Amino acid sequence: MSRAIHSLSSHLSRISVIALHAFTQLVRMKVFYFLVVFAIIMIASNFFDLPQHEGPESMGLNVLRSIKSWSLGTMTLFSVVLAIVATALLLPKDVEDRTLYTILAKPVPRLDYLAGKLLGVLMLVFVSLALMNLLMTAVLHIRTGMVMEDQMQMAKTLGWPPDAIAAMKAETLQQGPSWSLQGAVFAVFLRASIMASLALLISTFSSSTLFTTIVSFLIYFIGHFQADARDAYLQAGAAGEGVFARLISLLLSLVLPDFQLFNVIDAVIEGQALPLMMLGKLTLIGLFYAVFFTFASWFIFSEKEF
Amino acid sequence: MKPSLKIGVLTLAVLGFGAARMPFEANLSSELRAAGLTPMPLEIGTRDKIDQTSSAVVLGGLRTLVATFFNLRAFSFFQEQRWDDVAETYRTIVDLAPRTRYYWETGAWHSAYNAASFYLNDSKLAPLRRREAWRSSIIRGRAFLERGIRNNPDDWNLLAYLGFMLSDANKFPAFGDSDATFSAAADAYGKAVKTGKALDFVQRAQLYSLARVKGRELEALALARKLYAIRKNQTPTLKTLLFVLEAYENPKLEMEKRALEIFGTPEASYDALCSHWQRTRERYPVHGVAEALQALEKTLKIDPKNSIFNQPLQSPTMTDDWFSK
Amino acid sequence: MDELKPAVEIRNLVKDFKTSFRRQMLRAVDDVSIRIMPGEVYGLIGPNGSGKSTTMKALLGLVAPTSGHCAIFGKDSLRVDSRNDVGFLPENPYFYKHLSGAETLRFYGKLCGLKGRVLEERVTELLGLVDLQGARDRRLGGYSKGMLQRIGLAQALVQDPKLVILDEPTAGVDPVGSRQIRDLILKLRERGMTVFLCSHLLEQVQEVCDHVGIIFQGKMVREGRLEDLIAIEDQTEIILKDASPELVSSIHRLVENSAGASVVRVGKPRTTLERLFLRETLREDKP
Repeated sequence: MSRAIHSLSSHLSRISVIALHAFTQLVRMKVFYFLVVFAIIMIASNFFDLPQHEGPESMGLNVLRSIKSWSLGTMTLFSVVLAIVATALLLPKDVEDRTLYTILAKPVPRLDYLAGKLLGVLMLVFVSLALMNLLMTAVLHIRTGMVMEDQMQMAKTLGWPPDAIAAMKAETLQQGPSWSLQGAVFAVFLRASIMASLALLISTFSSSTLFTTIVSFLIYFIGHFQADARDAYLQAGAAGEGVFARLISLLLSLVLPDFQLFNVIDAVIEGQALPLMMLGKLTLIGLFYAVFFTFASWFIFSEKEF
Repeated sequence: MKPSLKIGVLTLAVLGFGAARMPFEANLSSELRAAGLTPMPLEIGTRDKIDQTSSAVVLGGLRTLVATFFNLRAFSFFQEQRWDDVAETYRTIVDLAPRTRYYWETGAWHSAYNAASFYLNDSKLAPLRRREAWRSSIIRGRAFLERGIRNNPDDWNLLAYLGFMLSDANKFPAFGDSDATFSAAADAYGKAVKTGKALDFVQRAQLYSLARVKGRELEALALARKLYAIRKNQTPTLKTLLFVLEAYENPKLEMEKRALEIFGTPEASYDALCSHWQRTRERYPVHGVAEALQALEKTLKIDPKNSIFNQPLQSPTMTDDWFSK
Repeated sequence: MDELKPAVEIRNLVKDFKTSFRRQMLRAVDDVSIRIMPGEVYGLIGPNGSGKSTTMKALLGLVAPTSGHCAIFGKDSLRVDSRNDVGFLPENPYFYKHLSGAETLRFYGKLCGLKGRVLEERVTELLGLVDLQGARDRRLGGYSKGMLQRIGLAQALVQDPKLVILDEPTAGVDPVGSRQIRDLILKLRERGMTVFLCSHLLEQVQEVCDHVGIIFQGKMVREGRLEDLIAIEDQTEIILKDASPELVSSIHRLVENSAGASVVRVGKPRTTLERLFLRETLREDKP
């Protein structure tokens, strides 16, 4: 009985089987359980008040800003850690446990295997972020309501005119949960996805989980300077920098991803709106990176021997 | 394929991919910066001031988070009345989060109001020192606020706050030339109105400042007339200022008659004009007020003993008095 | 004609490994050629480190040959579709411990393109074949070694392949479990499946295989039909039950009267320790 291996639907079905399996495998690992629970606790801690001065007019708005920046900071940290660590351990674990042999001995193309593992990790990151996002939005929603109540009280006692009250209400609502905030969470997801695909690439030529993890984190940090390196390269010469410096900045900007692009989070927290078009472009970039790194991983992995 | 060849091909592919995406990313990067969605690179000086872990978080992209923590720190400095540290911290905070109005307002407030009041009452310093400290705090607060306005030109709140600070009777003595100060206040209010998002009171506030500038009375009168046409704007102060400015324009106006037109009844006119007469600290113009008051006292048959002119006036703002102890 | 295509064809396989740091290559497999026709049970035997596993991995495309060619039913091993027809049970397999028996089979079945009711039926059928229905919902983490080998065998059979490759199928398994696996292999042979196994437990190979290859230090030293290889050609064995001493002596006289033949040994045949063990533990009564 010969079954078509190379039809698109069979590729997709194999990839989804492996992805779902990787997802359940990761979820059942106690480590990730604890990580997500911890992250949720951190976000839920926003329910308590921080000691801060609030002037009468901006009463409470700073609390909302704190909630957002603390939650998004938690999300950024945890999503990157999850993405890197989960990816870094998947391949070495399969090799060590020899379960890799049983999978590759079946008619499973190696690309499907890699893509499936990556997708499993992305599912894990997505679900965790969704949970954290849900919690953050809930806390933010409740707090916004509380802030608005306090503001209404104050406005009534001070006898504010209705247009002032409406303006204050509008401003408070803008600081509360909004679509741009969801967009910012998605930007966090995109950044984590790029890190996961990068970790996949590194894990194909390193067999050690630790090595992959450390190198990935290094790249993550240095990647934030990529934009500076690129600017330096593009504008160099005028400042009279040497050829060598220019070469270094060129290399850095070619090799590393530019993570600064995803720093739209700060602007959203300060109240800026994130246009859909920008989000679309960021998604496109994220997709390019993920696809490129997956194919690069396949290039190395396809001739790896076990 | 030999491993070395493989690595060579891979390296080329990575570099090629980098070259391919560079223009796209550079474009997107400047687009995002222009839209204010990604922040400009941090100044070197600011990087020094925030410590290592904060740097890591900042690089990770959460400047607002670091700003939040610094805000807490500034609050404790405030509680300990360490004004220089408060000002320094706020400078760092606004570097991290330049588009958050709250930080500009609060920073300016701490300097121009809290620090200034502190120095006003600080008996540890000699009077001359106290006065200097008071003055420089207020000037620092103003400068900080103006910087905030430069970073957020569309924010009417910051502009209105500047106008408020400059026209505050307790503050403007720090700035020397009162005409220039009131002028600046009126301009700030005016810019706030121009953003189109300001609340109604801002335009009235603009008038209140403009009216006090010697040399721009006619401009103020035009504004007063424009505002008076709308019923909502007819506050006591506005009505009074309209009267005063008309008196300035035409000294031969029949004061009492015009007052009655504006205020309605002799009693209302008298009350309003008496209050205005006594508000010397704010340095409002008083053209025609004395005349009108005299006429009204006759009409209302007020006993000369109870005349408003025999009541003591507030002393105009004399900073020397404050610092004489 | 499909019948004539060999199930396994390994031609002049050479595999060198680079040992770390030293420039010298280690030649794990040195010009090995094996040909297995459909329906045969072939045993590759040799000491540890002789290149058995490497040969199997080359056949499965897990390792690329330095030179030479491997094919399964005519399809080159380096191509993914060659694995449509083969199932593999690796040595000491660790399957995903968090899955149950049925879930494991379902996972591998889906990877082979099976789904829905067909998959479910196949899972049940296989669990019945390897006698693990009772443990179908237990996590593999709780399976014994013998159970793991059996579920491994089931997994290898999930897409009903024509060739099954078993690497040390009874290594570390107790005699009872070993017996079960041996019976399963015989059942597969009855179904017409080709089996390629490697082992260093020689008695078990002897019981199951009909073809054998002996590999030593990467080279194939002896190969052929089992019967041909181990028959001591010049001897014949006759085993009698309930024979009287008179019958035995008349046979002796017959042999002495024929030319050339001589009696080598007369006595009671011995049972093996394995049979004794099985008789005691399973209460079987086979000689």
